[in-house]
Amino acid sequence: MSATPPVPPKAKQQQKQLTIKQQRAEDRARKLEEHRRREARSKRNRRIGIGAAIVGAVAIVALIVASVVLTPQPPSYSAGGDGTEVEGVETFENESTHVETAVDYEQTPPAGGPHNPAWLNCGVYTEQVPIENAVHSLEHGALWITYDPALPDDDVSALRAKLPSTYVILSPFDGLPSPIVLSGWNTQLQVDEVDDPRIGAFIEEYWQSESVPEPGAFCTGAVDGPGKVS
Amino acid sequence: MTASGDGVAVRDGRTGPVRGGGAGRAAAIVAASVALIVVAVVAFAVGRLSTLGEAPPATTSAEAGFARDMQTHHQQGVELAMIVRDATDDPDVRLLAYDIATTQAQQAGQLYGWLRQWGLSQAGSEPSMTWMTRPADDGSGGDGDGEGDGDGDGHAAHAADAGTHAPGAPMPGLATAEQIDALRASSGVEAERRFLELMIAHHDGALEMAEAVLARSTDDVVVPFATSVVASQTSEIALMEEMLAARS
Repeated sequence: MSATPPVPPKAKQQQKQLTIKQQRAEDRARKLEEHRRREARSKRNRRIGIGAAIVGAVAIVALIVASVVLTPQPPSYSAGGDGTEVEGVETFENESTHVETAVDYEQTPPAGGPHNPAWLNCGVYTEQVPIENAVHSLEHGALWITYDPALPDDDVSALRAKLPSTYVILSPFDGLPSPIVLSGWNTQLQVDEVDDPRIGAFIEEYWQSESVPEPGAFCTGAVDGPGKVS
Repeated sequence: MTASGDGVAVRDGRTGPVRGGGAGRAAAIVAASVALIVVAVVAFAVGRLSTLGEAPPATTSAEAGFARDMQTHHQQGVELAMIVRDATDDPDVRLLAYDIATTQAQQAGQLYGWLRQWGLSQAGSEPSMTWMTRPADDGSGGDGDGEGDGDGDGHAAHAADAGTHAPGAPMPGLATAEQIDALRASSGVEAERRFLELMIAHHDGALEMAEAVLARSTDDVVVPFATSVVASQTSEIALMEEMLAARS
């Protein structure tokens, strides 16, 4: 901006103008070339970008699918009646107190309630057992499997074969609402047939349940009832 | 020139970002969101897939079978110990029985808790002892293979054999109802002797079960438990044999 250069001679200027024209032409050509190259590069880049995005998206989806499919699902079982629904199971709310007297129970056979301080030792009984003691065993997580005294011996044997070796009382019971009744603390199932698959389902769901008042307390070492065979 | 060039540059500098501002910011936000989603998904996947090797034992696993059957086994151990504590005044036997009852009751509670933690029922879907009829991790054991020791005397060298076991069979070393009745009916030194004999066999059976699960599991809760059962019950067997010899 400061000093104007000296005016050159005309010829020189013409030549220079020519040169400038040429230069401009070259310039344009070069710019055009550059533009084409830039276009090509950006086209290629775009293709690479799209390809990378697709690969990335597939990888992300694959990761999500793999995470969900391959990893273990949280356990669905929860002891004490929150897991499998066993059809026909009734539940109750009974109180848990110790009494020395006879008790008039809400359910037949009892599925919880006030009970004798001594629990009934678990096992197989061929006679009616003292109910106030048996209810105490339910409180410790045992199941009380009762059957109508008229149930054929073969059915009683078949029933016995389905039971765990501990934490079960098997006994006849007069006046049952169905040929076989399975009771746990605050839970009960009536079945008609010894081969009813719900017997196994009930045992799996409620045997040694943690929702009884005293899970893990023993079912031995207290009192036997009459007719204990094992 | 300089000034105007500066001006142009400045104006360009201004208009550039201002004009491209909306699109540029949107692009930045999109890029950041995509990056965030990618990082989140990768972190989630890494977290989940890292649990692959730590799936809890299944309901038919050796671990679950051991947790169920050993509970039953220990419960009888407690029962026997409580009977002899009522049947004798001997301080050594009463103290041993106290030790066994409290240890085994506590351990049964641990086994109960494992099943709860693993999301499994206390009652198995298959008969007791089935897990011990399956081959060990090294291929040995399993159905029909191995000898087992029925006499309760060869406790020093238990293989993890399971040949004598069958699904639904009683656990090794369990006292029969008659033996328990006989113990309950006795008192004094006779009760002590009966108890020691039953408990030595009972511990022998527990060793067999603990070694069977050690041969079938690498679980980091089960293995230390079974290892300590083997160690403590082996030394308790030696103690009980001395006590039994002193009373014979």
